[in-house]
Amino acid sequence: MPRSKSQSCFRPLFRLAGYCAGGIFLFLTLFPDAVFSAENSLPNTSTNWLVEATNHIGQWIWDTNTFDKQTCRLWRSFEIPRDAKVSSAIARITVDNGFTLFLDGQEIGRGSDWRTVTEYDLTWLLNPGRHTLAVEAFNDRLEAGLIFGLHIQLVDRQIIEILSDNTWFIVPDAPPDKKWATRKTALPDWHPAIVVGAIHHHPWEIWPYGLSIEPPLRPAVVRFWQTGWFQLSLFLVCALALLFCVWLMTQLAAQSKAQRFLQVERARIARDIHDDLGAQLTQLVLLGEVAQREQPANAAARAQFNQICERARELSHAMDEVVWAVNSRRDTLRDFVNYVCKYARIYLDPTPIRCRLDVEPEIPPDAFDLPVRRNLFLAVKEALNNAAKHSEAGELFLRIYRKGQKLVVAVEDNGKGFDPAQAGAERNGMTNLSQRMSEVGGICNVISQPGGGCLVVFTVPLARARRRAWFSRRPSPDEMDDMNAVVNVSDPANSQNG
Amino acid sequence: MKANISSTVAPSARLPVKVVLVEDKAGVRDSWCKLINSLPGFSCVSVCSSGEDALRVIPSIAPDVVLMDIFLPRMSGIECTTRLKLLLPKAQILILTAVEDDELVFMALEAGADGYLLKRTKPEDLRAAMLDVLGGGAPMTSEIARRVVESFRRASRLPKQTVHLSAREEEVLILLSKGYSNKEIAEQLSISAETVGSHLKHIYEKMHVRSRTEAVARYMTTRP
Repeated sequence: MPRSKSQSCFRPLFRLAGYCAGGIFLFLTLFPDAVFSAENSLPNTSTNWLVEATNHIGQWIWDTNTFDKQTCRLWRSFEIPRDAKVSSAIARITVDNGFTLFLDGQEIGRGSDWRTVTEYDLTWLLNPGRHTLAVEAFNDRLEAGLIFGLHIQLVDRQIIEILSDNTWFIVPDAPPDKKWATRKTALPDWHPAIVVGAIHHHPWEIWPYGLSIEPPLRPAVVRFWQTGWFQLSLFLVCALALLFCVWLMTQLAAQSKAQRFLQVERARIARDIHDDLGAQLTQLVLLGEVAQREQPANAAARAQFNQICERARELSHAMDEVVWAVNSRRDTLRDFVNYVCKYARIYLDPTPIRCRLDVEPEIPPDAFDLPVRRNLFLAVKEALNNAAKHSEAGELFLRIYRKGQKLVVAVEDNGKGFDPAQAGAERNGMTNLSQRMSEVGGICNVISQPGGGCLVVFTVPLARARRRAWFSRRPSPDEMDDMNAVVNVSDPANSQNG
Repeated sequence: MKANISSTVAPSARLPVKVVLVEDKAGVRDSWCKLINSLPGFSCVSVCSSGEDALRVIPSIAPDVVLMDIFLPRMSGIECTTRLKLLLPKAQILILTAVEDDELVFMALEAGADGYLLKRTKPEDLRAAMLDVLGGGAPMTSEIARRVVESFRRASRLPKQTVHLSAREEEVLILLSKGYSNKEIAEQLSISAETVGSHLKHIYEKMHVRSRTEAVARYMTTRP
């Protein structure tokens, strides 16, 4: 729609335009960095680009017929040779009156100011292979045309030029899905465009007179985290993790419930054993004692009653140990220490060895892992047994103290000692002790020399026990083992008592 | 006092030691009573089936020794001990327990008990223990001794704590907690075994006094 036709009709408007131009000029001098870069660059570059444009822009082309409010689809494909490398690709386009430019179906840009050529830098978008240029052009009224020029310079200085000429095709009727813009080949019902005029010839003598340069276009790089499948799988992973967490929490809750139930049950069993069996046994002992006393002084039955009483006492003692082991109130470090001390004292009481205790004061009632507790107790018991049998000592020190996150139990006697290098490992049971300790992540050190007593040091980790206490322990055969173990180990003490 | 008691408990003594038994199970009660009566120099003058019963009956009897079961229906043996000790400070109270539970024993000792016995104790040991408390001694195991030391040390850090162990008492307790016998402690400290016993007796009394003052303090602070 060249305005030359309507110039004379709109003389009053010119004055108005003059005022406007004055205003714009004033505005531009006040704000030199204003956004009208196209107008601003016009005086300097006009000659250069015009000269160049004649070389690099084709002719005005259009459909065979022209009418107002016309949409015209122009299509052309081209090829960049294989192994070629694009060093620069500049596309220039304008359409009287407006256009949308596509490259391989992707929109490059739009323009509605037909008096200005728009320049696109497509360097980054072109690689070897076949490409499609498509323009959806719109004519408002009167004359219509497209001028286009794509100047591709390859690295080997070869130049490919695609200009607007009659090699372009007109796409007659296109569905709105723009599939035509992605086609690599023309369809048979498409017809070639016709040249409606050379550049700067009638009716576009003085147009286009401007150039607006768009910043270089870069292919939109879709990072892997922006892709749909990645986001979907990430979401799925998160959802799965969440589900897993919920599942774990319910498991934990169920376990701690089971743990609480176990503790309550253990307390109940302990109470039942104590209340029923214990009371009955005590009565048995008392009845036996009374019966014994009612016999004549040296009757045979008296000795038998005495034996019955002793057996009943042993049984009662053994049962105390069971109650101790079963009672969940006793699962603490402090109780363990008390128990070991009491055991050592009672065990060594009938022997010539005096038991000396050296226990760290104020041992906290922290949770103490059952397997550690059991193995440590059995190991200490074995060390006491060794001392009682072999050491011929007069004094035995049982030291219990914490060292960092470890519990140390030392059994030291002042007996005859032995040479660890000569003594058979089986004889002194040291392998057994070491194995017990390694089972629970502890260490056993034996220091002895002939005539110099013997020192056995057990070190077990405490931190593990404390951490394990947070998670619930499963009611395992371990618990029952522990019970049995305590019952079994109480035998020597009982036989000593008896 | 010692001479006085020993003349009392001599096998030929005319005045046997008066023992009262507090026990809720009838069978056990009868057996104990027979056993005590069979011990030379001891006589079971009365039996009570509950703590309430004991508080009603015992003050009028004024026995030398009270054998108190720790688990009684309603009022526990520990509470009964506390009240009885206020009414009869001279009576020696021995706690009877089926299981050796340090926790309970310690509570009983704080309540004013003068010692404790396992129910399965042989009659001879029962007699020895009763003679011991009557003679001004106080049996104490090393585990209990350790707990007593710890409890006094903890308490001494609190403000307004008026009951403290003397240096000698603490010494005795620490030796006891290390496994030394009363005799060995006596040798080590160059004192008589009886003195060791009386130290322990004082320690029991102090525990009792302290728990009482603590109870009073609690009562005072909880009152509006």
